[in-house]
Amino acid sequence: MDDQESYRDYLKRIYDPGRLFDKPEPLKGIRVLEVGYVHLGPAACEFLAQFGAEVIKFEGRKGDLMRFVTPYAFFYKNMSPGLEIENRNKYWVGMHLGEPGARTIFLDLVKKSDVVVDNLTPGRTAEWGISYRELREVNPRIIQLHVSGYGSWGPWARRNSYDAAAQSMGGLSAITGFEERGPIKSGSWIADWITALMCAIAVTAALNYRERTGEGQFIDYLQVENVIRWLDWTWLYTWKTGENRGRSGNRDLAVCPSDLFRCADGWVAIAAFSKPEFRGLCKAMEQLALYDRFASPRDRLKDENARELLGAISAWAAIRTVDEVEDLGRLHGFAASRVLEAGDVYHGEHFRERSTVQQHIDPLYGPMVQHCCPPALSGTPGRIKWSSRPLGFDNRYVLSGILGMSGEAVKNLEDEGVIFQWNPDIPSHCPPPDWDGESGLRFP
Amino acid sequence: MTENADYSEWAFRETNPADVFEKPEALDDLLVLDASRGSFAGLYASSLLAELGAEVIRVESPEGDPARQMSPYGMMIRGTGLGYIVEGRNKFHITLDLDRDEGRRLFAGLARKADVVIETFKPGHMDSIGLGYRQLSAVNPGIVCCSIHTCGQFGQEAERNRNQPDYDIVDQARGLVMSVTGESELDADVPGTFKRPLKQGNWMGWYAGGAWAVFGILLALFHRRRTGTGQLVDCSPPEGLGAMANYAIPFYHLTGRVMPRAGNYDYAVFPYTYVKCKDGYAFISGSADPNWTALCEIIERPDLIARFPSIRERLDPPNQPTIQREIEAFTTRHTTDEILEMVTAYRNRPDRKGVVVTGRLETPRDVLRGEHWAARNTFVKTDDPHYGEVLVQNSTFKSMSRTPGRIKWVCRPVGADNDFIYARHLGLSEKEIEELRAGGVI
Repeated sequence: MDDQESYRDYLKRIYDPGRLFDKPEPLKGIRVLEVGYVHLGPAACEFLAQFGAEVIKFEGRKGDLMRFVTPYAFFYKNMSPGLEIENRNKYWVGMHLGEPGARTIFLDLVKKSDVVVDNLTPGRTAEWGISYRELREVNPRIIQLHVSGYGSWGPWARRNSYDAAAQSMGGLSAITGFEERGPIKSGSWIADWITALMCAIAVTAALNYRERTGEGQFIDYLQVENVIRWLDWTWLYTWKTGENRGRSGNRDLAVCPSDLFRCADGWVAIAAFSKPEFRGLCKAMEQLALYDRFASPRDRLKDENARELLGAISAWAAIRTVDEVEDLGRLHGFAASRVLEAGDVYHGEHFRERSTVQQHIDPLYGPMVQHCCPPALSGTPGRIKWSSRPLGFDNRYVLSGILGMSGEAVKNLEDEGVIFQWNPDIPSHCPPPDWDGESGLRFP
Repeated sequence: MTENADYSEWAFRETNPADVFEKPEALDDLLVLDASRGSFAGLYASSLLAELGAEVIRVESPEGDPARQMSPYGMMIRGTGLGYIVEGRNKFHITLDLDRDEGRRLFAGLARKADVVIETFKPGHMDSIGLGYRQLSAVNPGIVCCSIHTCGQFGQEAERNRNQPDYDIVDQARGLVMSVTGESELDADVPGTFKRPLKQGNWMGWYAGGAWAVFGILLALFHRRRTGTGQLVDCSPPEGLGAMANYAIPFYHLTGRVMPRAGNYDYAVFPYTYVKCKDGYAFISGSADPNWTALCEIIERPDLIARFPSIRERLDPPNQPTIQREIEAFTTRHTTDEILEMVTAYRNRPDRKGVVVTGRLETPRDVLRGEHWAARNTFVKTDDPHYGEVLVQNSTFKSMSRTPGRIKWVCRPVGADNDFIYARHLGLSEKEIEELRAGGVI
């Protein structure tokens, strides 16, 4: 250790973005079979893929629903941005696991895999003879995660779920929105994303356990329950008081002040809970009398005090610029930040230095700029290597490269319809219109 | 279907809540120090590790973590706020003054034996007092240090904002999701004052930060099991939300455009919305062509299929309020339960054209009454020796067949485990502990 090196220089050295691809991947050698569709299951697998797992995704003949979900029906070189965001770094096989002939191939892959993730209707894998019961017969070390709205058993296990249904069934929507207005759904598929993350955590915990003991396991994960878990003090509050937790806009009912304020030129979030932070804010406002009145963080949380104090901050912020308030936060040690939009993150030097926003040159789609998975791991960082792919794009690579099938055997499976590729009549299945027939293909 | 019934029974046997405490724990070989301050990102992170069996030691300052004071309207149970009671699970609680040399020495002693350290101080603080990753790893090369802070430990913004504390509201403000959440900017019926960014109602920034931190920690531990080396895990909660902001960044890259706030509409998938019903609100979807057809058949409006035949028409922002109103003309005549029944009946029809999904918009009180959650042990009610009768949400890892997550105890008072932990890990005698206490170190 060099005692002279500053913390800043030390971090710059250990996080040098130029060395990203020289570093090992923590899940290298872990093979994941994704029996997923739409968003949740695929996102869970992508998180693993960004940290080096080899994820093989199976897709039916119609193609994943996300091939058709895209803002304003916008497609880029036939690719759907809705498909892209949960499907990077994967290998793509066109094979419907419910079709005769597919099961044997799948089980052969299971023998050489570590994890199987499915987000189908509970029991569907059992109908196809590929539930955990069958998988562990061929590979006792396998870890199988099933995720669905309500899990594999219980009174509501047969109900379908989507992200927004989970936001509403789990109570998130009821507490999101303005006091005087109705419930608001998140601008992102937040219930899917946070559940996908927790699925990736469950799998990684199971991998850690298997590393110690050699034992695999089955994991039943419930999306709606996951939303419930993330709602902090909501349940204890409602259970203790008998009252619903209401909507409170941007005001934090448990931290005061903590809210979003309108400045002369935009929005600024401000928070200052501890005494020194709150004192700093009052000093910046040149209203130390407020500090004297509301010094105790706990007293500030009382509804009438909170409303009065937030009103005072609101009036103060209204005639200042966002820059001014942010600078005062830096100077006086309270939290103050603008609301970042996509362009701020995209162009922000900060996010490039941290490899949070990464560019890769995709052989099919050219330069792609994407938001990578945090956190920043100094020794084994995550990375985006390639984009989503046309339907069945890696059939050959997987069947020959992993299972050792001859070109002829693969051809036979194609002829029998067990495996398939994009339908040329459905553009979002297909490679870019100007694809040269070779770029991006991986042969064994 | 018999196969399904059989599958459900099998899955129940594998993950029966009654068996949880008979089974081993995934991470019971780990020692974790959680030195977070005033941060539910740190607390949620150590909760997840504790649910999975790690021995977690919460290191508070002698006056207690400020997070204990963060509670709705200031409501306390024996001096501790509701949020903290929820995230105190399975943790040992010690105190230690990191502003004093003696306190730092004790921390270093614990860190020598630890596998994971979690901290949420301002960037560089732990390094400046000799307890950062580079110092701790010099004596314990396998250690995984996780720092959680708004802008992370390095980069332009981390340096500019290093004097600022981390709060959920700023984590959400910088996390992109907030920029696209809120009442519709394009709907003329929404009053201007509500056309502003909106945070998720819960501590979404903090919980996302904590969960991403745990993902990083478990990846680092997995790598360590194979190589013996630890590493630094630098977690910026807004980056955790940014990674979950749908196509915000790729769409901007490909088109140069920013998505407007859509309220309950959606410009990539629609209908996929909340609708008013006779007795509240419900989610309803029918976006892809077959599912749209199904929805129009359920609401007995086949004429709408031809009016909005493809996603091009349905994703066109000016059409969405119109479609919304047509659907609500039907749903406001029915209760949420009736709509669920109709949707379910349609799904079982042999001539169904597609799938419609619906779900009632449940209030917290509704959720607490849900029979499914009772069956699945989603909530744990307990009579805690210190905090009395409390109810908290259970571990969501409880349905791991081999190593289910669990709650052993709910929370502990400030410094409650000082004697036990200092004796167990540092071999301190009662007399030595008494001296530290008298000196105000613990």
